[in-house]
Amino acid sequence: MTDFIQNCIDGVMIGSGYALLAIGFTIIFGVLRRVNLSYGPSIMLGAFVGTLLYVQFQAHAVVVAMATVVGAVLAGMYVERVCFWAIRRGAAVASMVSSFAIWMQLEELAIVMLPERTYPFPPLTETAPIEIGPFFLRSEHLTMFVVAVVLVAVVHTVLYRTRFGLSVRAVSENLLAARFMGINVDAVMFWAFALVSAIGGVAGFLILATDQQVTPYFGLWATFKGLIAMMLGGMGSLPGAILGGLILGIVEVQSLWYLGNDYKDLSAYFLLFLVLIIRPGGILGHALSERERAAFRRV
Amino acid sequence: MDDYVVSILSNIGMISFLALSAYLLLLTGEISFGQQAFFAISAYLSGIATAMWGWPLWSGLLLGALAAAAAATVIGVLTLRLRGLYFSIATLAFAEMVRLLFVIFHYQVVIDGEPVGPDGAEGFRDIRWVFENNISVTEYMVIIYTVLVIVLTLFFLLERSRLGSIFRMLGEDTLLTEMQGLNVIRFKVLASGIAGFIAGIGGGFYAHFATYLEPQNFSVMLGVHALVYGLIGGLGTALGPLIGVGLDIGFLEAIRAIQGYRMIVFGGLVAVLLIFMPRGILDEERIHWFRLTWRRWRDAKR
Repeated sequence: MTDFIQNCIDGVMIGSGYALLAIGFTIIFGVLRRVNLSYGPSIMLGAFVGTLLYVQFQAHAVVVAMATVVGAVLAGMYVERVCFWAIRRGAAVASMVSSFAIWMQLEELAIVMLPERTYPFPPLTETAPIEIGPFFLRSEHLTMFVVAVVLVAVVHTVLYRTRFGLSVRAVSENLLAARFMGINVDAVMFWAFALVSAIGGVAGFLILATDQQVTPYFGLWATFKGLIAMMLGGMGSLPGAILGGLILGIVEVQSLWYLGNDYKDLSAYFLLFLVLIIRPGGILGHALSERERAAFRRV
Repeated sequence: MDDYVVSILSNIGMISFLALSAYLLLLTGEISFGQQAFFAISAYLSGIATAMWGWPLWSGLLLGALAAAAAATVIGVLTLRLRGLYFSIATLAFAEMVRLLFVIFHYQVVIDGEPVGPDGAEGFRDIRWVFENNISVTEYMVIIYTVLVIVLTLFFLLERSRLGSIFRMLGEDTLLTEMQGLNVIRFKVLASGIAGFIAGIGGGFYAHFATYLEPQNFSVMLGVHALVYGLIGGLGTALGPLIGVGLDIGFLEAIRAIQGYRMIVFGGLVAVLLIFMPRGILDEERIHWFRLTWRRWRDAKR
């Protein structure tokens, strides 16, 4: 039982990182109605900029964090311009394919920058794990969790308390209506992208600081962890993204502990497949099927 | 032709099957991230059939492709309710499950004092049927392309048939298809099964070409590439995905000179292409235009 609770604690901590990635996907999907496969790779590129500073100049972790976020935001803006702004609406699939092409580009850019397979990434803190009764808390995990909670609060405030957040929500709700209200839709999309990339940059830094190493594969990893967490919870819902991230974290840690490393990802994918088949809208998504919705539209 | 060119061309041929498989589902309006699963299932099974059970290549290929079709049919039934991104992610989850299952899949028999068979993450070595039967790489390439041409011909026949129209109709609007009195469920499952079969043919060829399989070969990257080929080449004709494959593998080999930067160049080119041709190079409109021009030219000559 102690093991189980300990695993749950670890899972929630790791899951908070996934939740941040999922929030990024959810916001982009809400605003643009398109999938950005390049989300993970742009974070990875930011992390590589940070690593470059760390490897070349032994930069401090805080500098690396800032470089990661700035790099991720710049890469994200580039992705937005090329894959989403330049390709007109209605061509959602073209945007997805384009974001995949840019992914390949970003990955090679990272390899050109740092040609080895693996690079060290600076840890945020070097303190020993905190002990609470029979349980251990890794300080990196705790930092990740606290930062994630703060970021979620910030995102929530931005979305529900500011004018910009209002326009983001308006665009997600109904693009045409938002445009009629005088909202500059293109600008909203651009800045939503920047915001999301910044969140991703922070999440990427925290995850990598825990792992203490970075490879170009991080792009693939982050994209699919974020997508999975989002789909588990339900697309386009902020609480869903958080719940999905936490569930993914807990399931991974539990299956790693009880079944072994080979089963860690396997059980996560199995759970995802099961959730999608049984409850196609995700756990917190609305269960209204596409056909019914199409019918309503026609009526 | 030297062996290098032959191996590149064989690769293009084998991946074309996977691209055609993803293309068929794209016609019915579904974006699948998971066609590599059926490629993998068939690769492993046909490899097991020839290397471990001593079957000839043809029956091994057929067994692999049929198993892939069966798996695809089951997945088709399970994912019937899913649309759009949900479908894509469900197929992705399935494909990753298959890949990870092959990581823990051990099944070996001892042949000539050597253990043969899939050994989890260590991979599946010595699928040597092609080598043992003295088939040269060039001959093997010819076999691959013969089958590819047959499949392509069937695709062209499909596009002219009622079934082809139904598939395209499904892609346009499921509800309207249903209102034509067509059994949407049956046609969706059928499309999924056929797509699985086509991917399976490619997988079987791949196993005997590579002689060595490991689960990592069938990662999501393979599936996303296969999907993207059709979307770059265009959804107007079955030649579209082949153009995509040729562009990717052929073009990348051709610009080896700028090694290290070629994905930057290629990725940028694809992104620019998609800005001007969001539905791919040979999209429906362009194909229609070609047909009209051809007819006008033919009539004028008469």
